[in-house]
Amino acid sequence: MSVSPTTAAACPREHDAVLDLRRLCKSYDKQQVLHDVSLTVIKGEIFGLLGPNGAGKTTLMKLIAGLSRPDSGQLTIFGRDGSGERQSLKDKIALVVQDNNLEREFTVYEALLTYARLFGIEPTRQRVEQIISEFNLSDMCCKQVDTLSGGMARRVSIARALLPKPELVLLDEPTVGLDPDVRQDIWAIVKHLADRGTTIFMTTHYMEEAEQLCHRVALLKEGQVITVDTPNGLKAQAEGGADNRKILTLETAFLRLVREERV
Amino acid sequence: MMGMLAVYRREMLLMQKKVGKFGYVFSSVMFPIIYLFAFGLGLGSRLEVSGGYVPFLAKGIVSLTVMLNAFQQTSLSVSVGRMYFHTFQTVFLSPVPLWQIVMGIALAGVTRGIIMGGLIYLIAWLAFGVPALSGAAITGMVLSAFCFATLGIAIGLIVADPDEISLVNNFIITPMIFFCGSFFPIQNLPKIMQAIVAVLPLSYANSLLRLEAWNMQAAGHAAILAAMGCCLLLLGVRGLKQYSE
Repeated sequence: MSVSPTTAAACPREHDAVLDLRRLCKSYDKQQVLHDVSLTVIKGEIFGLLGPNGAGKTTLMKLIAGLSRPDSGQLTIFGRDGSGERQSLKDKIALVVQDNNLEREFTVYEALLTYARLFGIEPTRQRVEQIISEFNLSDMCCKQVDTLSGGMARRVSIARALLPKPELVLLDEPTVGLDPDVRQDIWAIVKHLADRGTTIFMTTHYMEEAEQLCHRVALLKEGQVITVDTPNGLKAQAEGGADNRKILTLETAFLRLVREERV
Repeated sequence: MMGMLAVYRREMLLMQKKVGKFGYVFSSVMFPIIYLFAFGLGLGSRLEVSGGYVPFLAKGIVSLTVMLNAFQQTSLSVSVGRMYFHTFQTVFLSPVPLWQIVMGIALAGVTRGIIMGGLIYLIAWLAFGVPALSGAAITGMVLSAFCFATLGIAIGLIVADPDEISLVNNFIITPMIFFCGSFFPIQNLPKIMQAIVAVLPLSYANSLLRLEAWNMQAAGHAAILAAMGCCLLLLGVRGLKQYSE
């Protein structure tokens, strides 16, 4: 089966591009992890990156965040060169990683305060109190980070990332390993952010999550983008074929596109 | 400069959390205390050194305490934060200019080096009545701490595993402890070895620690230590500029 080109609904408006990736390549120890990845993400969009394990999702996330450098290709963020002008972009981008990277020795309040100081947020304590209130973290302010549950730690990580009011938020598997209640909670935060005009770029393994949240998704397989479309567009792409199957869920569409696509 | 201060405060808060644990301070100063008492009591009255062996030894041990703590603080903070807990990424992705990140971490290393070195000096003063440190000696402590703190950052950014730091300890730090004049005058070594160890930073630090007043030699040694620290600082900034996971 071949994947159809990106549908008209999935074509971004270039002038609104927050993130523009052109033919990005990255390899580790001679193993090519990303091949010619090209994507455009527009302002206020929730863009999902789907793919099986080892597809290169986290690597791509690191490239966008500035933790890693591409071997070749062009990375433009807010119209600036993502490699050469990285320093000027740092206060516009926030990354929430999959694993808890809060300082374990700190209390929740200290972790937030330290981050706010690093970002030069003024008045520091006022903004920290504000985010604590927005995320209902008052009860756990004095708790040490390493005593938090996975869900709570993720909530604090997201709250911390939003302290400087970033314009682009990168979420790497934001709800992986969390119970459904916490997951719903995080979905509500993501939707609220997008409603306020923040652009979200997220990776996920959960098709339901992509369907609920993402305006558009890209399928990444073996380091290559095989298609970019809306969740409904992806389902439409997966329909038909030799057996003329009807696709009802994004998960079925994902499996079909990933398994049958010949890159 | 606010970015540097933010990084410094972060490092100091992390250090403060650890200082509360008895083992942290104990492990930071135990090795120097053992050497101070073992050599001080065992050899103090038998070795002939100008000004007395115990003051000579005590200042050498203060110097190596400064070196060990400054180096350990920064090398572990960077390497473990980078590879195990991924907390270093938070600092790296912040808008703090890279040189200020390096300076903030280095200043925390300097602080720990000075505090632990000062603690050893206090113990030596109480136990052996070691004379007061001169201005040149205090300058030497600060510059030595800066030099080894920046070395720690450069190493912390290079190593592929925090365990590799033990290689640096075994092949660079430990030989300096024993050959750079902490326990005996460099002049006791063969000429060829004297020439080699004389250019190592701990030798300059030891020399400054033992001077009783500022003179041309002190100024020269201080300038060399400062230059070494600045070169290592630049190496750390370069390492951050090229940082890629």
